[in-house]
Amino acid sequence: MNTTTPLLELQQISRRFGGLQALSDVSFSVEEGEIFGLIGPNGAGKTTLFNLLSGVTPASSGAIHWRGRAMQGLSPDRHNRLGIARTFQNLRLFSGLSVLDNVVAALHRQPQGSGLDALLNTPRFRRGQRELQERAFGLLEELGLADQAHREAAGLAYGDRRRLEIARALATNPTLLLLDEPAAGMNPSEKEQLCALLSELRERHQLTLIVIEHHVPLLMQLCQRLAVLDFGRLIALGTPEQIQRDPRVIEAYLGGGS
Amino acid sequence: MIDNGLLVQMILGALLGLSVYLPMAAGQLSLATPAFYAVGGTLAALLATQGGPQAGISLGSVLGEMLLAAALTAALAVLVGLPVLRLRGIYLAIATIALVEIVRVAILNLPFTGGATGIFGIPQPFQHPFGYVWLSGGLLALCGWLFQRLEASRLGRSMAAVRDDELASRCMGINTTRVKLSAFVASAMLAGVTGVIAAHYLNTWNARQGSFDVAITTLAFVILGGSRSWLGPVVGGLLLTALPELLRPVGDLRLVLFGLVILLGPVLFPQGLITPALLERIGRWKP
Repeated sequence: MNTTTPLLELQQISRRFGGLQALSDVSFSVEEGEIFGLIGPNGAGKTTLFNLLSGVTPASSGAIHWRGRAMQGLSPDRHNRLGIARTFQNLRLFSGLSVLDNVVAALHRQPQGSGLDALLNTPRFRRGQRELQERAFGLLEELGLADQAHREAAGLAYGDRRRLEIARALATNPTLLLLDEPAAGMNPSEKEQLCALLSELRERHQLTLIVIEHHVPLLMQLCQRLAVLDFGRLIALGTPEQIQRDPRVIEAYLGGGS
Repeated sequence: MIDNGLLVQMILGALLGLSVYLPMAAGQLSLATPAFYAVGGTLAALLATQGGPQAGISLGSVLGEMLLAAALTAALAVLVGLPVLRLRGIYLAIATIALVEIVRVAILNLPFTGGATGIFGIPQPFQHPFGYVWLSGGLLALCGWLFQRLEASRLGRSMAAVRDDELASRCMGINTTRVKLSAFVASAMLAGVTGVIAAHYLNTWNARQGSFDVAITTLAFVILGGSRSWLGPVVGGLLLTALPELLRPVGDLRLVLFGLVILLGPVLFPQGLITPALLERIGRWKP
């Protein structure tokens, strides 16, 4: 028996939107340090699951446990405080801010002096701001965006915007990072680089990753375990080898050939 | 052409513009400014005319009224803001217009606010209208400094993040309720304090001072001036308050011209007069 509690545990999670059953009875758990893949055809409920895990939408039924504690009813900012950060499939950057300020805005928990320090522009405040900028620069460097720090976020190339979303999420110092199609719109060599980058980031920031991705080969290479969703149901769970051989997965992806 | 009286009105306009700008800097279209302006003005009128009309009042008492108005409007803004800020976009605008109406009708009908005629003979702290230029100008300068510091601070950055994408801000751990409420409360305090100065300056105060018209006029300050920097509403407030007076020589046509400016402003300057690009150009300009 495994005696350690998993980082994240989903117990029979369901979510209904009116007549649409977006998720039904999904159960699995994710261990700390794992890279966990989430695949499935369009409309399978993958992003809905991310919305549940980040507190954006509540589950209709079932329970989600974080380090053994229930976290129903918590707001998205409380989820982030617990250590869950995410990126968005349809990029949601702070488009009016510079690339650097997108990251700095997410570093809001880093101590930077009191309101009075800010008001009087004290040495402590200025030191705090300097550290903030350095930290943000460091994150941008890790994601290869340092040379674009002062551009407006909206002006970045598509792949760069995806990477900026990762930098911004990392700024909140997460334990669990939810990546919603991080490789979408990237060419094969960029995807290859992203794959290496994600493994590297996991090492350096001691992350647990859950990755939604349509590009299955990338996930097979990256993940220790995968879950396959189809019409809101979990149809397979296991190592990449197990998933590749699973007849239900093959059917979901290639259609039920009769 | 610009006398002291007009200058005071222009500065009061700039202050009200800043009050509308604050929630907007956190992405919230609130039109509640006239309600808090009316509360501040009424409070000053009531306190200063206690025990019958008086000839004068000390500047200290006026400053005391300003502090009281700030505290009262802040408390009111917390009470109103907590439920109302759950609304988004145009629904928040409608709810805040309702607040303006509620306050207006309350001031019109309360037994001690003088009904439709309002409160008269509010005493003057200054012998000369120039005193008001100092008082309101000092407040505007103080606001300029505070806004400048705000934009460099954590709260200012959080406000900018919430304005750009509230959901993403929440997912980055920003307590958006607190950020929006802070902006709303600061906006209310500024409007309340401005109301105190206005009540003394105008010498009389009634329910019409904080009406729906004022909500639209002050919104126009921000839209024409620009909503991406605090300088925008200041410029918009100064210009749009001065314009009807400066156009006085052309007679009744002035209202038509004023209307044209409000109409064409957003067409010709969709981002307002003061844009981030303009500020950057000024910042880089070396003589």
